[in-house]
Amino acid sequence: MTLPALLQVLASGLLMGLLYALIAVGLSLIFGLMDVVNFAHGEFLMTAMYVVFGLWLVTALDPVLLVPVTAAVLFAAGAFVYLAVIRFAMRAKANIGMVQIFATFGLAILIQGLAQFLFSPDYRSIPTSWLGNRTLAIGDVFLPLPQVFGGLISLLAFAGLYLLMNRTDLGKALEATREDQGAVALVGIDRNKVFALGWGLGSALVGLAGAVLAIFYYIHPQVGGPFALIAYVVVALGGFGSVFGALAAGLIVGLVEAFAATLLPPAMKSIAVYLLYLGVVFLRPRGLFGRL
Amino acid sequence: MSNRKKQLLILAAIAVIAGLLPELVTDVYLLNVVVLTLMFAALAQSWNILGGYCGQISLGHALYFGTGAYVTSIMFTTFGVSPWVGVFAGGIFSAALALALGYPCFRLKGHYFSIATIVIAEIGLLLVHNWDAVGGALGITWPIGQDSWWTLQFARDKAPYVYLALGLFIATWLSTYWIEDSRWGFWWRAIKDSPEAAESLGVEVFRSKMAAAALSAFFTAIGGGFYAAFVSYIDPESVMSFRFSLLFALPAVLGGIGTLWGPLVGALILIPFTEITRSYMGGFGNGLDLIIYGALIIVISLVKPEGILSLFRDRAKRGARS
Amino acid sequence: MTVNRRGILLGTVAAALFGRAAPALAAQEIVIGAVYPTSGPNAQIGVDARHALETAVDIVNAVHDIDLPTAKSEGIAGLGGARIRLVFADHQGDPQKGRAEAERLITQDKVVAVIGAFHSSVSSTVSVTCERYGVPYMCADSSSPSLHRRNLKFFFRPSAHDELFSLAMFDFLDAQRAAGMKVETVALFHEDTIFGTDSSNVQRKLAGDRGYDIAVDIKYRANSPSLTSEVQQLKSADADVLMPSSYTTDAILLVRTMGELGYKPKNILAQAAGFSEKAVFDAAGEKLDGLISRASFSLDLAAKRPSIAYVNERFKARAGRDLNDNTSRQFMALLILADALDRAKSVEGEKVRAALAGTNIPAERTIMPWSNCAFGPDGQNTGADPVLIQYLGGKWVTVFPEAVAVAGAKWPMAS
Repeated sequence: MTLPALLQVLASGLLMGLLYALIAVGLSLIFGLMDVVNFAHGEFLMTAMYVVFGLWLVTALDPVLLVPVTAAVLFAAGAFVYLAVIRFAMRAKANIGMVQIFATFGLAILIQGLAQFLFSPDYRSIPTSWLGNRTLAIGDVFLPLPQVFGGLISLLAFAGLYLLMNRTDLGKALEATREDQGAVALVGIDRNKVFALGWGLGSALVGLAGAVLAIFYYIHPQVGGPFALIAYVVVALGGFGSVFGALAAGLIVGLVEAFAATLLPPAMKSIAVYLLYLGVVFLRPRGLFGRL
Repeated sequence: MSNRKKQLLILAAIAVIAGLLPELVTDVYLLNVVVLTLMFAALAQSWNILGGYCGQISLGHALYFGTGAYVTSIMFTTFGVSPWVGVFAGGIFSAALALALGYPCFRLKGHYFSIATIVIAEIGLLLVHNWDAVGGALGITWPIGQDSWWTLQFARDKAPYVYLALGLFIATWLSTYWIEDSRWGFWWRAIKDSPEAAESLGVEVFRSKMAAAALSAFFTAIGGGFYAAFVSYIDPESVMSFRFSLLFALPAVLGGIGTLWGPLVGALILIPFTEITRSYMGGFGNGLDLIIYGALIIVISLVKPEGILSLFRDRAKRGARS
Repeated sequence: MTVNRRGILLGTVAAALFGRAAPALAAQEIVIGAVYPTSGPNAQIGVDARHALETAVDIVNAVHDIDLPTAKSEGIAGLGGARIRLVFADHQGDPQKGRAEAERLITQDKVVAVIGAFHSSVSSTVSVTCERYGVPYMCADSSSPSLHRRNLKFFFRPSAHDELFSLAMFDFLDAQRAAGMKVETVALFHEDTIFGTDSSNVQRKLAGDRGYDIAVDIKYRANSPSLTSEVQQLKSADADVLMPSSYTTDAILLVRTMGELGYKPKNILAQAAGFSEKAVFDAAGEKLDGLISRASFSLDLAAKRPSIAYVNERFKARAGRDLNDNTSRQFMALLILADALDRAKSVEGEKVRAALAGTNIPAERTIMPWSNCAFGPDGQNTGADPVLIQYLGGKWVTVFPEAVAVAGAKWPMAS
């Protein structure tokens, strides 16, 4: 491999990794808060992509402008899902984890069906936008602008999340609720409100990712699947409950995937990522930075 | 009569009814649904051994299903070995695989374990998908021949498959039945109630988990071999994909995880519903069947998170009290 | 929707006539089954297939003044004007489900024949089921070369398979090379399911046989979130001809990624699939000017054959897009079946099969660029000549073979 090709793969891997991290962190947040793995996470991503697409169709505004709007819509959707569905699944005394996995699994199928029902199964895309199809060329290395934008959003989101969790009351409430759900009730924190906000926040984060993806990726009801699988691996690799872990693991996965596609037959590139996960977790059973 | 004996009697009754179905039901499609229901009940029952009783939630059981399907198919199509032998070879191979994988994996807890099972199954799928010697993406086609119990090929007759699936279900049910009353079952219940007990039981518990994993993998692989004979064509996506792993766990969870009858109840509800929504609503391409299917799963999960079976247990408890 | 009384009546009457050389059946309705993916990642294919088949059913059932089999009469003349009714089933890309649906259509809806299935893996099991029940299977669009080589008597494939398609592609490359163009290296870029595997296997062999250097041979995972590394390898190799075998999603990602990395291939010669779908050109059409694809069908033949424009208009009214590689094959498969029913004058499996085996429809009475439609003993149409079409200025132009070409190919793509 020539040096420019190497640098290209490196750059692409990092940019993609930042996006994977952004997709994963919402999942990590929700898990860290209430021990729920959201099996509909890929469908939330897909929903965000359709939201951007729909808004773009209706308002003709550039997707870049629609990113914050989409995040807000997904925030509301996430909170709604918690209040309407997840809250009831958590009533189970026994095997809470399994029940929520299957409630969210059912939710995933339902959302896919809805997407097909509302939008038809055809593949959509946003053909022209400010950033779409534009590339920043530094020497022989090409940095596609949508992915660069995505990377920036991702970093901003992580910075924002760090500030939120460590410097604000809401963040402290989230932390506290995770530590001890019973105790926080005594202090007057409404558990349901906190969880709903947590779901909303986690969904907003994946909403940001979906909005960015829609600029350069195709949209259809099953688009979420491969991203969701990567997100689970990223979260587990980084360690459940660790925001920084999601960022680090996302970058690592992006890089490993990109390099594996050049060193191995590309059809098997994911094996490298999976082996990495297994290798890490056999040595550190809580992932790289997990606290749970 | 003891509760234990009563369970056996119920099993016998179910076996008789299921065994009579091919005589009573002539519609081929419905018999196909019966075969699938019994098969998934058996697979969910064997998943339940590891997931429900032992508490290790595997979401990668498609790996064993797939290896069973492939071993059986390769032994038949390449070496002419009867599937009767093939399914057992597949079972033993998968049990050995489960032991090898269990050794490092059982160190992992909770979701880390589950995700490890998912990625291991995906690795298996990718390896088989790219391995031309076992057909790769082209899959393996079973040669079309005369109806025969030796090759387990039947052109139109579903009855043999009903009996075979029923047999598999009975085998997995009996294993669960036996385990419930055994040392292992006792330990696992103890661990669920008090994690400290796990510490003191240490090595024996680890060994029992390994045995559970092997047993679970064994039956799952036999199911896979059966499926290969039933469909007469396999490819990596159709026997090793993640959606199968979920389909083995789902009936058990919906019916009542860690219970003797949960997987059957879950399969009886889930499988016919899946087939009927697809067959009579899916052809229109509007996604309505998926909406209904997804909604049902959500509703069942929420209304009775402990599983459908708890509906009956609650009623029984109330009955006993009054 | 479930068991159709008329269907049972039909079946009973047909059974009563078994063995007799009895002609016309004054029945009302003939049921034909269609098995396609209508949910899951390829659902759009199923949706389009429905439109194509319904267009065909309309041609058969109503009176149309065009020269296509059964068009000019109402319904199927040989069966007393009986009309066709389609029953659709979803196989979700799963061979087991496809088989279950085919069985259901045959035993509950009493279909006279089955059309399907897009996925070659599903066609594999469905065709075996049809064989077992003695019901003809029209393999409209599954292109795996192995399908017609299994000694099935009830299997009929009117269109070409991957070997024929790739042969046409390399014949074209040979012609360009003979005309003095630089065509020394090819890049194979294929997804990893049956389609990509079959396609690339044939291409690899032909490249070797005909003296083309394979600059790079990339098998990629279908539906990957990112293809950047893969495309980087294509860019580094910069072959004379890029030969992708990709479905819609990967095609969109491939084209966009090539643009992102600043890679403009010298020539693209595609194995249709994704590159015959409207969604790809909606997403990135401006980058694909000059792309050449193999095709079973080309719209510009309408200039010579008015039935093509007629059918396309009716299809477009239902589907909102022109006929393409898949939909044209699905449409034609149903018409060929109708033609056989017309000649068989019976709905009995063996008689329809015999009629299909004796099919001989000249090219002018089809909408395809075939030389004719006549099935060999293995069920493969021996006249299913593919063409190559080029995307120029937003339209597809037939460029190969010379006999049917409307214009010469713009080669290289960027000239």
